[in-house]
Amino acid sequence: MNKLLNKPFKVFSLYALIILACSIPVYYLVISNLWIEELDEYNLIIKERIKNRFDKIQIEETELNKTLALWKILQPGTSIIPSNISTVKADSVYTITKQNEYAEGNEMDRFRGLSSYIVINDTPYHFIIETNVEDAEGIISSIAFVTLLFFILLIVGFVFLNKIIAGKIWSPFKDTLAKLKLFDLNSHPSILFEKTDILEFEELNNALTKLIHGNIAVYKQQKNFTENASHELQTPIAVLKSKVDMLLQNESISHKQLEIINSINIHLSRVSRINKNLLLLSKIENHHFTESETLDLNELLNENIELLSDYFKEKGIIIEKKINEKHLIVCNKTLLEIMLNNLLINAIRHNILNGKIIITLNNNTLSISNSGITTLNKETIFKRFAVSSSETTGSGLGLAIVKEIGSRYQWQITYSFQNNLHIFSIIF
Amino acid sequence: MKILIIEDEKELANDIATYLSDEDYLCESVSTFNEALDKIELYSYDCILLDLMLPGGDGLQILETLKQQHKQDGVIIISAKNAIEDKIRGLQIGADDYLAKPFHHSELAARIHSVIRRKQFDNANVIEQNELKVDLLSKTVKVNCTLVELTKTEFGLLLLFLGNKNRVISKSALAEHLSGDIADMFDNHDFVYAHVKNLKKKLTFAGYNNYLKTVYGTGYKWEI
Repeated sequence: MNKLLNKPFKVFSLYALIILACSIPVYYLVISNLWIEELDEYNLIIKERIKNRFDKIQIEETELNKTLALWKILQPGTSIIPSNISTVKADSVYTITKQNEYAEGNEMDRFRGLSSYIVINDTPYHFIIETNVEDAEGIISSIAFVTLLFFILLIVGFVFLNKIIAGKIWSPFKDTLAKLKLFDLNSHPSILFEKTDILEFEELNNALTKLIHGNIAVYKQQKNFTENASHELQTPIAVLKSKVDMLLQNESISHKQLEIINSINIHLSRVSRINKNLLLLSKIENHHFTESETLDLNELLNENIELLSDYFKEKGIIIEKKINEKHLIVCNKTLLEIMLNNLLINAIRHNILNGKIIITLNNNTLSISNSGITTLNKETIFKRFAVSSSETTGSGLGLAIVKEIGSRYQWQITYSFQNNLHIFSIIF
Repeated sequence: MKILIIEDEKELANDIATYLSDEDYLCESVSTFNEALDKIELYSYDCILLDLMLPGGDGLQILETLKQQHKQDGVIIISAKNAIEDKIRGLQIGADDYLAKPFHHSELAARIHSVIRRKQFDNANVIEQNELKVDLLSKTVKVNCTLVELTKTEFGLLLLFLGNKNRVISKSALAEHLSGDIADMFDNHDFVYAHVKNLKKKLTFAGYNNYLKTVYGTGYKWEI
């Protein structure tokens, strides 16, 4: 993935390269043409001057031939030779490449020539002047060199300007991006974007603010919904339980009716339990239970085990607690108790008859293991209602609550199944 | 004993009143804040059951009014709110106990019994019922001067029964009394049978008048 400003940069660089590359031959042609025009003018001027001078002075034949012979020696670029054509032809210009006697080396140079006919003493003479043109390679290489220089200047300028622009123009965008990255629906109240004078970013910020506000409102509503709903249910459940209790006081109930009442009681307890757990779960998620104190894990475990002693005995479960010393943790007492409670209750509920429970504490990791038959599904056990109600008497929320408490304090909760043991571990 | 039930859920109030009413308890109930204020200003009660969520005001204000007027009525807060903060605040202001809804009537009765005992008999440590003498400090029971040694569980059960005379207490109510919220988590409360059986055996051996009766399929009753 590329940075945004690199894209136009690449395109511009390529464009600059093409244009500048095209400019080299163009410059060459332009300069070359100009130069040749200049030379033609120069040649013409020379010819006109010579013609005029010859016209002005009166020179006789032998003198003229001597002069012309001398001229040939002195001015090798020009030659005036008697013409063997009787009529005067028009001027013509041409280019010729021949060896330059006066240049170093044996290079062939370009010459621009003017072929003309002048009349001296009524005799037509063929006048040729050839002037050295600066060689093409020289021009091209100079142009290319300067162009390259300019290209490099352009590129360097682009890079430099790019960096400066990136810094300035993108800073509101980067600010927005940073704030978005930090945003957490659960904990952040809202985002305040800085005002910017760039239209598109201002629009972006406004749209984002609206979106976030909408999201937060919905989220709060949803969070509160579970808490409110289960709270509402408490009272009708209390009334139902009360009525069932009243029924039990009635002495003239038949046995069949008693059975029905007991059945009602069981399921009612279940409803009540699920509701209480839902309420608890949503309270934990909504950040209640904020006080913390220093607690001894070992002591809490002991209290819990004693509280559950009747249930252990009932299933014939043996507890092996391999922790003897204090282990201090700072957190909310209620939450820690609930967590340990839920794990132990699960260890009883999903245990086999006469099974065992092993509790160990190593390096800040508490493990509660219980005998079992087949492994549970790691992915789903910590989710709410992962187990269907027909399979268990539990509320389906016990482990979800454990997980929620764990994530509140950033303790890692893991599950594994080894040697016919379900092992739940908490890494503090 | 006079009990005032301040509860806006009328059905619940009626049920509690019905459960508690017998020769020992006399119940009145009101369902709004203002009615409650009126009652407590005019009369005194042995125990007040106070619901915090009342139409017209906050239940805690009634508690504060009681304290301001230096009234000695016992107060048990019954609330669906179940929030730690409310519980702490309530107890700090001066409530005697806090019971979260939903609860078993037997549990409520036991708590009322306990509060009244503390208030009425200045924290007397002995409950007497015919030949039974229960010492709350040493957690021992004497039947006609014969000492009966009970386990903590058996003792707790006995207190529950004494606070709920002539009432049928279901197995789950007994389990809940013994292990609190956890009892809710399990359906099998057979261990309750074991404890009650042991209690019965010990009391019978000491010669008590067989008040503890089994109610088939449901639970037990302390019949006097």
